[in-house]
Amino acid sequence: MSSIALVTVVSSFLASAVEFVEAVTIVLAVGVTRQWRSTLLGVAAALAALTLLVAVFGTAIVMFIPIDVVRLVVGGFLVIYGLQWLTKAVLRAGGAMAKHDEAAIYAREIAALGAEPPVPATGMDWISFTVAAKGVLLEGLEVAFIVVTFGATAGMLGPALVGAAAAGALVLGVAVLVHGPLAAVPENALKFAVGVMLMGFGTFWSGEGVGIDWPAGDAAILALLAGYGVLALVGVYVVRERLTGGIRLRAAGSGH
Amino acid sequence: MRFVRAFFGFWYDFLVGDRWELFVGPIAALFLAWLAVRASMPAPLAGVFLFVVLAGVGGVSVAWAMRD
Repeated sequence: MSSIALVTVVSSFLASAVEFVEAVTIVLAVGVTRQWRSTLLGVAAALAALTLLVAVFGTAIVMFIPIDVVRLVVGGFLVIYGLQWLTKAVLRAGGAMAKHDEAAIYAREIAALGAEPPVPATGMDWISFTVAAKGVLLEGLEVAFIVVTFGATAGMLGPALVGAAAAGALVLGVAVLVHGPLAAVPENALKFAVGVMLMGFGTFWSGEGVGIDWPAGDAAILALLAGYGVLALVGVYVVRERLTGGIRLRAAGSGH
Repeated sequence: MRFVRAFFGFWYDFLVGDRWELFVGPIAALFLAWLAVRASMPAPLAGVFLFVVLAGVGGVSVAWAMRD
């Protein structure tokens, strides 16, 4: 397996794991408080819709759109996505933003579902179905987006699908064992890593799209990953310093 | 009408989110890189230029988020 294929598998795995953890929190909350059968049917419907999206858009993009346009548009979207993930991860790691708390989200979902009408004695519970399907569809849309982009731009649909499927199986397996929200998963660290990877691939592909002929070919991706990784770590350090500096200044000011 | 608003609202949240500069910045960076390539900037330099501008957009966004 080439190093780029390996990085694709890892990127897809990490990005998918984050989204699957968030989806599982919603599914667990609905299943535990309402009805498992309707909840799982909702999950199945959402997964079918996502598979269809990946198949249709993945094929259509590869077949009908020139590769330079695909690289520019897809790379551009990856950069936009990567910057959103990475800046939030830097702010969270630096302490300037609250970290994602799956246990709190789970408790909020349970409280919200408690206000809904009771589960029907027989037949389908459409509230379970809709909430579970919506949760999986929304979280899964980002996974589908990443899988389609990797597949269309680098011909890496296989490795991207392998990474996403492995993440889904792992998260689902752990959720069944734990039978609760996966609060121990280091979501911020995962988002940090995924943000760096999306930025690396996105910059490379969008750069090719605008006509940049990268020196050393695909190996430039590894240099970009390293560059963004180092800058993001510097960002965390600066955010921490500015926060503690601000606290020190306020403490000194309040002393007078 | 409500459906149309919800549809565009969803895609706005999905792509732009709560920090518009992270949507506009990369588009501007790619446009500048395209101009640089058209102006015959050497390939390695154009790549570094794109990397620096994108990293700058991220840095500015983090600084603005800290200020807010």
